Amino acid sequence: MSELINSIEQGLKSRVIVCLDVAHGRVVKGINFKGLKDMGDPVELAVRYQEQGADEIVFLDIKATLEQRANALEVVTRVAENLSIPFTVGGGLNTYADVAQFLNAGADKVALNSAAVKHPDLIDQIAKGFGSQCVVVAVDLNQGQSQKQDQNKPLSDYQVFINGGNTPTDLDAMQWLAQVEQRGAGEVLLTAMHRDGTGLGFDNELMSKVSEQLGIQVIASGGACKPEHFTETFLAGSDAALAAGIFHRGEFTVGQVKDELLRNGVAVRNEYLKD
Amino acid sequence: MSDSVMKEASKTVGVINTGAGNLYSLNGCLRRMGFYPVTINQPSDLERYDISALVIPGQGRFRTVMTNLKACALDEVITNWYRDNKKMVGICIGLQIMFEESEEDPGVSGLGLLQGKVTRLQSPKQPMVGWSDVQSSEDWLNNQTLYFVNSYGVSASDKSIATVTYGQTFVAAIASNNTIAFQCHPEKSGVAGEEVLKQCLS
Repeated sequence: MSELINSIEQGLKSRVIVCLDVAHGRVVKGINFKGLKDMGDPVELAVRYQEQGADEIVFLDIKATLEQRANALEVVTRVAENLSIPFTVGGGLNTYADVAQFLNAGADKVALNSAAVKHPDLIDQIAKGFGSQCVVVAVDLNQGQSQKQDQNKPLSDYQVFINGGNTPTDLDAMQWLAQVEQRGAGEVLLTAMHRDGTGLGFDNELMSKVSEQLGIQVIASGGACKPEHFTETFLAGSDAALAAGIFHRGEFTVGQVKDELLRNGVAVRNEYLKD
Repeated sequence: MSDSVMKEASKTVGVINTGAGNLYSLNGCLRRMGFYPVTINQPSDLERYDISALVIPGQGRFRTVMTNLKACALDEVITNWYRDNKKMVGICIGLQIMFEESEEDPGVSGLGLLQGKVTRLQSPKQPMVGWSDVQSSEDWLNNQTLYFVNSYGVSASDKSIATVTYGQTFVAAIASNNTIAFQCHPEKSGVAGEEVLKQCLS
């Protein structure tokens, strides 16, 4: 409970972030890795979640291949013109020029994942060029895969993955997170791969440890399937929590998650309650 | 000009081009509120439109924005607009440049319309990113939940009309002459932000 009181005293609301996967200018959902189901127009869906009370939207896998680039940029501009809350784009952004294109098209922030691991300087460059507030570094961690467990090292049983969770790296998870901060990232989006799709809730032991260690905000991701999971992760010290399926499947609205948070004394933006 | 056209023209808002970021969000927000944003790139642009208010957008760092404004003589446009008591809104860096200087870029002079200095904030996590309630003696602003993105701010000002607390308390909004400026981003603050901006621009 002390963490909760602490976060309220600090004065920032706990943020609920909705993640949308975009391909070919449409929001999509993968079906058993075989095909993509069309879920609708990115602007319409983002606005719908904004009205439900989302504090922020993240567009991932925006398929920023060269052929798709113009299309993706047009979507970003339309979102910027129509959304009245912040939004982040990520997936497939590999160079400073890529990032500049998306920020100039209207994105508030970009999320870097594999590119940050392969070219850590990219974090410094974007922070210098556009400001730390534009840089979210996404870190995908998997637990229990590491061969180099060490009791004295925090997170030694977690391994950093890149390339959409397909490629393990040799990075020390906590050292990488500290480096991300030191290079100028404004926030870290921390996905617990071992929780993704399980519905077991966020890996709050992980979120708690990282949030305590870092001087930048931690966005928890992976595993949420009910409103209580959001309460738990905010109590554990997460600054924001991101989810996709729980909202896209229509199981809960963002408002229902926030109702639960308010009942538990977690400070959230409650504009969705007003008509 | 018919009456209806006159009325439309008075809804034209000039957005100062600070050369430090895109204007899609701000322009989209102004259009949703029923205003017609036009971009002001140089002093002569003021004569091309019947502008009811100026807005200084909220992206970019202190040095970049001041350098770009000076290069286009837009610093004088802002200063004259302020001194003439015309309606103006500043957002984030648009508030900060109204002060004398900033720790973000030591040695760079601000517009100096307001006394004081922009300092690095003592916040629990930096940058401050997220939503916070502002405290104000003004009813339209008090307890509004608005979106903040900043590492720097003004800790106190005699022109302050609202404060916010994240680790330390600092200025969330100022009012002086006919200018209102925000440390937060009303254009990114949902319905609350649009209501706040409408109050300033109407």
